[in-house]
Amino acid sequence: MSFSRIPRRLVHHRCCLTTHSNSPPTVDSALETISQRNPSLNAFVTSRVPAELAETAVADGPLKGWPVGIKANIATVSNSDTDVTSCGSHALQSYKSPFQATVVDALERAGAVVMGKTNMDEFGMGSKNTYSIYGPARNPHTSEPQDKDPCQIYDRSPGGSSGGSAAAVASNMCRAALGSDTGGSVRLPAAWCGIVGFKPSYGRISRYGLVPYGSSLDTVGIMARSVQDVQQVFQAVSRPDTRDMTCMTELLRSRINMGSQSRPWAARLLSQNDMEAEKPLAGIRIGIPRECWVEELSASALDAWKQGAERLSALGCEIVAVSLPHLSNALPAYYTLALAEASSNLARYDGVRYGLRKEPGNRGPKNLDASRKYAETRSQGLGAEVQRRILLGTYVMSDAACRHFYLPSQRIRRVIQTEFDSVFALPNALSSEAFEKTLLDWASGGRSAGVDALLFPTATDTAPPLLEGREENTAASYVNDVMTVPANLAGIPAISVPVGHKDRMPIGLQLAAQYGDDELLLQIARYLGA
Amino acid sequence: MRQLEKLLRRLPARGFGYSTASGGWRSTVGLELHVQLLAKQKLFSAASAKWNDGPNTNVYMVDASIPGSLPRLNPHCVQLAARAILGLKGQVQPVSSFDRKHYFYLDQPLGYQITQQFFPIGKGGFIELGQAEGLGYSKKVHIHQLQLEQDTAKSIHDVYPGHVLADLNRAGVGLIEIVTRPDIETAEEAAQFVRKMQVLLRHIGVSNCNMEDGSMRCDVNVSVYRDGNDRLSGTRCELKNLNSLKVIRSAIDAEVSRQVGLLTAGKEVEQETRGFDARSGTTFLTRSKEAAPDYRYMPDPDIPEVHISRNWVEEVQRTLPELPEMTRERLKKQYNLTKEDIETMINEPGCVSFFEQLATTRDPKRVASWVTSEVFGQLSYRAQRLADSPLTVAQLGELLDSLANNAITSAQAKQLLIEFMDGETRSTAELIKAYGWKVLDDDSLIRQIAKDILDKHPKEVSGYLKGQARRLNFLIGKTMQATKGQARPQDVSRIVKELLESASAD
Repeated sequence: MSFSRIPRRLVHHRCCLTTHSNSPPTVDSALETISQRNPSLNAFVTSRVPAELAETAVADGPLKGWPVGIKANIATVSNSDTDVTSCGSHALQSYKSPFQATVVDALERAGAVVMGKTNMDEFGMGSKNTYSIYGPARNPHTSEPQDKDPCQIYDRSPGGSSGGSAAAVASNMCRAALGSDTGGSVRLPAAWCGIVGFKPSYGRISRYGLVPYGSSLDTVGIMARSVQDVQQVFQAVSRPDTRDMTCMTELLRSRINMGSQSRPWAARLLSQNDMEAEKPLAGIRIGIPRECWVEELSASALDAWKQGAERLSALGCEIVAVSLPHLSNALPAYYTLALAEASSNLARYDGVRYGLRKEPGNRGPKNLDASRKYAETRSQGLGAEVQRRILLGTYVMSDAACRHFYLPSQRIRRVIQTEFDSVFALPNALSSEAFEKTLLDWASGGRSAGVDALLFPTATDTAPPLLEGREENTAASYVNDVMTVPANLAGIPAISVPVGHKDRMPIGLQLAAQYGDDELLLQIARYLGA
Repeated sequence: MRQLEKLLRRLPARGFGYSTASGGWRSTVGLELHVQLLAKQKLFSAASAKWNDGPNTNVYMVDASIPGSLPRLNPHCVQLAARAILGLKGQVQPVSSFDRKHYFYLDQPLGYQITQQFFPIGKGGFIELGQAEGLGYSKKVHIHQLQLEQDTAKSIHDVYPGHVLADLNRAGVGLIEIVTRPDIETAEEAAQFVRKMQVLLRHIGVSNCNMEDGSMRCDVNVSVYRDGNDRLSGTRCELKNLNSLKVIRSAIDAEVSRQVGLLTAGKEVEQETRGFDARSGTTFLTRSKEAAPDYRYMPDPDIPEVHISRNWVEEVQRTLPELPEMTRERLKKQYNLTKEDIETMINEPGCVSFFEQLATTRDPKRVASWVTSEVFGQLSYRAQRLADSPLTVAQLGELLDSLANNAITSAQAKQLLIEFMDGETRSTAELIKAYGWKVLDDDSLIRQIAKDILDKHPKEVSGYLKGQARRLNFLIGKTMQATKGQARPQDVSRIVKELLESASAD
């Protein structure tokens, strides 16, 4: 990754961006916006041209005519030669997928129009969208100049890894976008770009066609300007898929629904006129996890958190403090597991069947040694951060290190899952016995002690300048994910909602709920936004 | 010859070879068998499992590791693995799971093999060796575990110099790996164990188990110890890719001899992987312990745990055919067949059932002789398996009935059998009509024809009358020819003899 590609540019012409027009973008307006704004924002890395879009038949569905962006690691198929599924990597720079992801099929069946592929950190590995062969995407929001020297004003990061999707939605280049969230890659950029970013429960949306990073943590995520838009997209794409064995079956879905909706307030919240009630969230208990009050948390994030809690309280929620004692172990456990899986998932980019292939130089008499070809191909095809993560992941899986890193991390993951289960009122549908028992209990008028959702910050601070951290320790940048990784480890749904600004830069708050409780989480989230 | 062979086989009783010959050294052997499942589709994709079709024709997304594709477990493979472990009298595990075994090679498109390292689908069970295998004692060889895993792609060397070609047809075909406990003590036991495993797995329809075409592959762990010591005290070496029973025997003997040689010379056995060179009859180093790869096993996050209910296991158990030992006994008791016929039929998948469907309403001995000599003769001529032959039970049944009713001669029957095995679909009755065949059973007509032949060959007649018995076959043959094969040989033979006798009386 070369930082010379980031222009040090004045950003005054983009200051007006934060005032959104109220009507959602159409395909035509999106095309217009893309042509005007994309050259500076670098959100779309491939985009479909008007002629191509004109040929595309639009299905008559709930999302009819919605312009949508697809992250560059989700497989799409079109007639265009430029429609590559590059994952932001040199290794797949000109790779065209022979099949389309289930989630994209579902979007198109609902009437959405795919505008193009969005920028990202290579294979999803990064929090600032700086590790991309296309150069970084930029945040449409810009802070007030701190002093008079224009050279001090740098572009802000849109966050990563789904930075392109976030920037595209925030700047009206599309109405909604798909991202992928392995450790916060949808929620962090959503928070930094001032939009809504939703990571559903693991298995809600099929991963078939999502190029994997850490398969046990990966989820397709949805980004839009409002929770209502996210809900509409989610309804269109949250379906069972036999092509993904980890996708929830119809049976499991209806089982969860039964439990989720048997809470007394659920029916009221799901009905249409709840917005008019004075205390629409009465009966809902919101937990504030103590352990999220970390040292790194900025004053503005803390303020936003407090205000969010007050807002929910004013709407009728009961606010309680909860404890998830092992949350501080989540970050190291996450990086161990995600990187181990990444080293495995990325082993296939060897240049034999597709993608970049490089021959080693004339360093030997005959270059028949396959391992040298692999080494050359992978050294040139994969970027520095991806190589770093593959090496770390390979190390933690090795015979010598497995006992000290990989296995303990698996145990921490299970502990964290159990701790989440212990704070939520709704039992985890994957542990059948507890689930049945609680439901019976509720039916006879009992009330569980736990909370219905958790409220905590999405990021420790607002979006950093793109150039910051150039010489910094890489590990320090991993701290950006501290608030987001627990939901991935536990497989639970979490959503980041914009709640305010600091120096014109957006701040996001997260709500998380029990595994499978996506629908009601989204309903509650509608009330959180400012 | 056979008697002698049996005798020799019985001689090397417990502790074959070096245990007695080489100053009290004994050997300990464990086997790893890789067996290709008889499933139509691959373990994790719907592509056909026919790996010998045109190169790279049976390849789906996941077989070529296309980014974003995901594995989908084929339930038929799970069922076949369950059949295998139940056939071995082991237990299907209620919970099993899949793991990734990592290494870079072009025969491994994903960069890892999906296998069951930590929680295999099957554990326990055994195969018993004894008299039937020519051993002078009986023993059980226990199964440590049975796991499902993917086969690799085929890499083809030396077709284009400087290039290695990859055929992904075989990539992802379902295998089971069966690992024994180190219960085996001699090369002969190892070979007999493998042979018996082949018979069992073929019989229950799990695999073809052909070592020649690689649908069964064998790795062997060998160590030696001095008599009286712990039998697991020796350092073991792994012999890889032993591709016939003969090679298994020779390779184990060679390796035992090498290890004993090292130890008696005061050297040590290094833990390593070795191959076998059949020409020199010795094993050679392929990989030292230092070069052993670190496979970085990891639970496969794309495949959920497999939960198997007791009901499901019972259902599989119910569909399991009778096991070979019981079949042998029953075939002997019920049909009074020879040992050779029984062995031939048991070793061919589907054959016992084929035979039994025919034998219920017919003379079993006669059916067995037709199946084992005529049908098998044709199968081996065609290098075909019974299961792949177009010949049906109904066809052979009608054929045998026509023969028994004297509607056709045995020469005609053999001709029809060949046509059926070529793919003829018309019935025996239709073919008889089409060919205008009738059996000539008019004695006077045969007598007329035979008389003509005798008249034309006075030299042979007088020769026979002078005691040259072989002239008789010539005259019978000529007469058969003259009837165009439509007369029954026994009729012709009887009439020719009668005529000759009356001639000698003249």
